[in-house]
Amino acid sequence: MTQRQLHLNLFVYPGGHHEAGWRYHGSDPDRVVDISYYQELARKAEAAKFDALFFADGPALADNIRYASRFRLEPLTTITALAAVTQRIGLIATASTTYSEPYNLARLFASVDHISNGRVGWNIVTTGAAQAAQNFGLDAHPDHGDRYGRAHEFLEVVTKLWDSWQDDALVIDPQTGIFADDDKIHEINHVGAHFRVRGPLNLSRSPQGRPVYVQAGSSEDGRHFAALHAEAIFTAHQNLRNAQDFYADIKARLRGIGRNPDHLKVLPGISPYIGSTTAEAEALHDEFNDLTQPAYSLGVLRRMTGLELSGHDLDGPFPRHLIAPDPDRAEASRFKLVLDIVDREKPTIRQLLHRIAGARGHWVTVGTPEKIADDIQTWFENGAADGFNVMPPWLHGGFDAFVDHVLPILRKRGLFRHDYQGQTLRDHFGLPRPDSLYATETKRSA
Amino acid sequence: MTTPRRQIKLGAFLMATGHHVASWRHPDAQADGGINVAHYRKVVETAEKAKFDLVFVADSPAGWPRAKDREAQQRSSQGAHFEPLTLWSALSQVTSHIGFVATASTTYEDPYLLARRFASLDHLSGGRAAWNVVTTGADVSHNFQIAGHPAHADRYARAEEFVDLVLDLWDSHEDGAFPRDKDSGIYVDLDRVHQLNHKGTHFSVRGPLNVPRPVQGHPVVVQAGASEPGRRLAARTAEMIFTANQTLEDAQAFYADVKRRLPAYGRSPDQLLIVPGIFPVLGGTEAEAQRNHEEIQNLIHPAIAWEILTRHYQGRDLSGYSLDDRAPPLPESTELNKSRLTLVSDLVSRGNLTLRQLYLAVAGARGHREVVGTPEQIADAMQQWFENGAADAFNIMPPVLPRGLDDFVAEVVPILRRRGLFREEYEGPTLRENLGLQRPENRFAARRGISAAE
Repeated sequence: MTQRQLHLNLFVYPGGHHEAGWRYHGSDPDRVVDISYYQELARKAEAAKFDALFFADGPALADNIRYASRFRLEPLTTITALAAVTQRIGLIATASTTYSEPYNLARLFASVDHISNGRVGWNIVTTGAAQAAQNFGLDAHPDHGDRYGRAHEFLEVVTKLWDSWQDDALVIDPQTGIFADDDKIHEINHVGAHFRVRGPLNLSRSPQGRPVYVQAGSSEDGRHFAALHAEAIFTAHQNLRNAQDFYADIKARLRGIGRNPDHLKVLPGISPYIGSTTAEAEALHDEFNDLTQPAYSLGVLRRMTGLELSGHDLDGPFPRHLIAPDPDRAEASRFKLVLDIVDREKPTIRQLLHRIAGARGHWVTVGTPEKIADDIQTWFENGAADGFNVMPPWLHGGFDAFVDHVLPILRKRGLFRHDYQGQTLRDHFGLPRPDSLYATETKRSA
Repeated sequence: MTTPRRQIKLGAFLMATGHHVASWRHPDAQADGGINVAHYRKVVETAEKAKFDLVFVADSPAGWPRAKDREAQQRSSQGAHFEPLTLWSALSQVTSHIGFVATASTTYEDPYLLARRFASLDHLSGGRAAWNVVTTGADVSHNFQIAGHPAHADRYARAEEFVDLVLDLWDSHEDGAFPRDKDSGIYVDLDRVHQLNHKGTHFSVRGPLNVPRPVQGHPVVVQAGASEPGRRLAARTAEMIFTANQTLEDAQAFYADVKRRLPAYGRSPDQLLIVPGIFPVLGGTEAEAQRNHEEIQNLIHPAIAWEILTRHYQGRDLSGYSLDDRAPPLPESTELNKSRLTLVSDLVSRGNLTLRQLYLAVAGARGHREVVGTPEQIADAMQQWFENGAADAFNIMPPVLPRGLDDFVAEVVPILRRRGLFREEYEGPTLRENLGLQRPENRFAARRGISAAE
């Protein structure tokens, strides 16, 4: 039996994941909307045999833009552009179930899956940022529970649309003049609380059947959603224990509903600061923290916790007692994560700002390539991860360091592939290709 | 110094296997073209090699109208095709000069999401994106969360507001809004980033966009409806208008009418290019061209013929008719695609067509101008319209792909060049430069009194 292997995605964030990464001397902030910048990254990640590139997204501009790189290209058009210049690497784009029409979104993803020959994944988000509502004519951002209610139905609709053409619906016989077998193309006739969609899709079934379903929220609603639908889950944990608890919980939920636990890959984020010695790595990390700007960092903290701390002594203790209970926020996974750091580490305000500056609450590791590889291996072999979203502090250099120094160690230990074994993202992740819902129906009635 | 001679602009209007309804059955067609990205790549590369200004695809956010007749339904090749913005995003990466026109609906899309995607395509392509604004003629409301397909006037009212919003979103960051100064830590100049705070009849959108201003300022805005509200929208906002005209007189009247409207909006006639479609059926001789035309017309299955007729008669029962009966008058008013219906009606009344002649007349170019002839004759037909106030550009509509475009490029383009009517080289890397269209001033900067020349 072959050894279980890591799955690795490159999580592309404009300018890098550290909030001040764009200010680092090795970064290239002027190229954040230049597609050649992403082409280079995609080619590097493909040469390194990464599973996928991943792009986050939200349909609004953040409020806190003055000091940070918050502008970006739209992810679906971007990954399609990258599909044209790569052959094997997976391409995962984020899109919102709260602010998209299911028919339009289903078309876009099906189209990219065709164009990329089966390499697309959809990071399903309900959109946490409240300011998005104001770009879509809503008085208020729907609350957490409502967003997930809509998300469940949204997923049901797009799944039916992706399945509406059976795999063998196309005939394309110029002699007889039959183009498609109408019995294998189905109106979905969906009528639900949020959506009414007739279908079918105007595109035949795509190479992967459906895009890979990715989910990224770790709240109770998010976990429930992931257990039902997701094939990969992107998650943020600060330490092994929390990551193990999450991993065990999610896999147990799958078993509980009769899903194969291997069919959901748990992929925490990891933001590595790599140096040839520990001291060098720590100096690098310090250099990034010195580039942070409190006016920006305090805004990030405000969004995560609701606390406005400008005017406080940054070197004084974090005022834990000021955090008000907020039922909506209490469900948000990132809020819990910050509270957990506060309760465990009792940081000053500045220390907390630095803790979240690296990767917005994701796991930051600092050390030699061996140390980073050890960390990865520990989580991977101790029930905390099936792989990782690699989140370089800055681009491209932060990614180069990982590929050049950490990846060879992981390979030497037999933990990561030397070459792709398949063509599609499902192949890379070891996920089955789903049958069309309607194929099963046809079989049953036959 | 002489002023450069006015030249024809050329678009390749691409349907997956070609414009003719039976094209996919033709031996020269790529039968699975609608879902074959290598096929589109080849066709787009052909157009770029010939220095075409742009490639264009039509679109509707639904399966093409499903025939009631199963026979017709399974003989239609139009049910499966790429989504245009993703297709062009991919092909923008393997080309360097040709423009990409994607059709998108103001009735069934959302302005914020659409503004982002087009802005993104413009960045990805280095300034080669264009948006063909349509209100969607066919009722596809069954796929969306709205109560029925809006009436024609309502669709255009929404389109007017939608287009303005998208233009404002593209302008929501001024050029030069991003100092990205590592030393001071200032990434963006907040004075040059603008909220819209738009509250209108159909939309309320705060903005700003989260994509920086497109390379072209705005992707080129194209409009393709020739009804009265369509002309008004085009005269106010569009930079190209895609149109279908059968005769020189009709095309001239349309051209004059649209150009006449521009000054009322403070625009000059050269800010809106008139682009009729032309469906060229080529042959070495006129007789050969006719034979080529017959060959493809003969591939139309009777079930498809009746489906076309039923669609034009809006579902009326034609079972008492044979194909050789004279075509009865077409229904008079429609809430769907107004301009196209008028045009087909004119054909019926002008020619006393039989039902067979009617479906044959629309099976290829769906009402666009068909020219069957030698390369010289097709070049003549284009020159005549171009030089007589009927066209600034043409959308070439190959009957069959890839062959139809290959032939046009090999045989007609050299004649146009010889006559000095078409470019030898691209004028620049952006679509605007090639079309001779100005990069628009930023609306917010203008309000602040900053000139575009700064």
